[in-house]
Amino acid sequence: MYVLLFLSLYFEVFLLVSFVENGRNRRGNIVAGSGVADLPTVAIVVPCYNEETSIKTTLSSLAALEYPRGKLEVIVVDDGSSDDTLAVARSFSEHTNIRVFHKANGGKHTAMNFALEHTEAELIGCLDADSVVDANALLEIVPVFAHARIAAATPGIHVREPHTLLQHMQNVEYHLSIFIRFTSALLGSIFITPGPFSFFRTSVVRELGGWRHGHSTEDMEMALRIQAAGHLIANVPRAVVHTTTPRTLGGLYHQRVRWTYGWLRNAVDYRFMVGNRAYGNLGIIMLPTALLSIATGIYFFVRTAWYAGQSLIHEIVRVQVTGGIAHPSFDAFYLNTSVFWLLTLMGLALILVLISAGTFIGTGRRVPPASTPVFLLLYSFIAPIWLCAALVRATFRTGVRWR
Amino acid sequence: MEGPVANTRGARWSNYAVAFVITAVIFATALFASNYFNSRRINDIRATQDTISTDILSLETQFDLLQEHSCKDVAENTTLPSVLTSLGSQLSYMEAQGARNQDEVVRLKRLYSLLEIKDYLLMKQIATKCNLKPVFILYFYSNTGNCTDCEKQGYVLTSLSETYPQLRIYSFDYDLDVSALQTLISIADIKNTLPALYINSNVYYGFQSVDDIKKVLPQLSTLQKTATTTPEK
Repeated sequence: MYVLLFLSLYFEVFLLVSFVENGRNRRGNIVAGSGVADLPTVAIVVPCYNEETSIKTTLSSLAALEYPRGKLEVIVVDDGSSDDTLAVARSFSEHTNIRVFHKANGGKHTAMNFALEHTEAELIGCLDADSVVDANALLEIVPVFAHARIAAATPGIHVREPHTLLQHMQNVEYHLSIFIRFTSALLGSIFITPGPFSFFRTSVVRELGGWRHGHSTEDMEMALRIQAAGHLIANVPRAVVHTTTPRTLGGLYHQRVRWTYGWLRNAVDYRFMVGNRAYGNLGIIMLPTALLSIATGIYFFVRTAWYAGQSLIHEIVRVQVTGGIAHPSFDAFYLNTSVFWLLTLMGLALILVLISAGTFIGTGRRVPPASTPVFLLLYSFIAPIWLCAALVRATFRTGVRWR
Repeated sequence: MEGPVANTRGARWSNYAVAFVITAVIFATALFASNYFNSRRINDIRATQDTISTDILSLETQFDLLQEHSCKDVAENTTLPSVLTSLGSQLSYMEAQGARNQDEVVRLKRLYSLLEIKDYLLMKQIATKCNLKPVFILYFYSNTGNCTDCEKQGYVLTSLSETYPQLRIYSFDYDLDVSALQTLISIADIKNTLPALYINSNVYYGFQSVDDIKKVLPQLSTLQKTATTTPEK
């Protein structure tokens, strides 16, 4: 138990140390922006399947992107939708740089490869049809490709218009992810190129053979393949994209089971990188910790659930034999000050620091979202549900579906 | 907001070392803080025991001087049962927590048992001299794992002590190595069939519900209830 606690705390501290340490040298790592004349040609692929309700907003945000028209094309690939996605997409055909294709359903990776075959652009990016981008996002992200070793770049992903409590909790989680992704980039260790607005050097993607199914997480598989080939993946938090997140626990569960399942299966496929010093920080700490975090999450959930169950049983017995509920009272003497709980509190405090840093990196604000306490309190009890389900499914290789 | 970042992925070992040192310091701090709070608890218990000890000594002295004092003064100065109950709860909590300084907890528990016995004997003497009618329950339990009903019995007695603040419940760990306690067990003829309640010179083995205790201890009805207690129908 204490080994897991130590490793969890160590990882949080390591990220903070790396963030602070690299912050001092960051000026040297920032790639200078290019002039408009030097901007590369870019293709943004919008793979979509039954997205009639959201694709209009997505394409509108792409049409409003600040980028030389002659150097930007949007490729909408309707992956066999059965609703009006294609018709809505075609209503944007008036824009000369938006092309709409229709193909039989084959999965997101096939839509991306279809677009890859139909473009000559130097950079190819993806924007999921449930996401929208800020107008300057492309101009922010493209200049990093001036660095020859960079094969891909990821943006700063934010939750789009959170309404439900669950979405507000995801909003906090995404701020934490902004910090982790940013620091991972500092360490050359990004291993996910998310669907919302990640970009790739087209030549590298072709060299690597295009996108693969990747256990329904082609964004993870592609990132691992890029890393395995020795390329770098950058992060540009100023390139802001807003993505729609699940409103309900059922939707979130389905999404996260797919993500975790994909991560576990891809980790098996790319196990030669885990713990391998040849892949630097990625192999030494990032991949092993990402795997360990699943075990840690499940262990502490089971442990907490066990003790909560024991307390509940004791309380039921107490009520049964005394016939009454105990009067609530507070006595500082009985506050839990065991080493385990103190370390857990310190771990939570560190996560709060990471969320605050992510909020600052992503939005410039110094105060984390108001729902942060709820996230800290509840999320570690919700997440293990899909971690357990994904672990079981990955063990038995059941596969997962997008929807 | 931050700018775009690109870096090489080579490991900087100094970062790993610094993170290790900081994490070790966090662990050491948690360990130190936990020990510090436990020590404070021990000190709190010790201070309470000192107070009780002083109270008992004072009571004994007053008792010796009974001829010159009124019984009313003595009765008013007796140690409050709730203090003893609270102390017992604190010691049980420390024991259940499995704190690192268990030896000290056991030492305090021995002293607590002695104070209980002393308070019990003194109250019996005062009751005889001053014609008081204190209500006693002696509760014998075990923490060794062979007493499945001890937990339930503890709940019942705690509930009773909350309902009747003047009820004097003395709880004893049957296995505690205190000669005075073992003598008490021998005199009261308590067998190792726990939980056991010693009420009005009778021993009751096994779990006793609130109603069972009320039946064998009719004096309970003479005690004042707490203000928050719901009246019985």
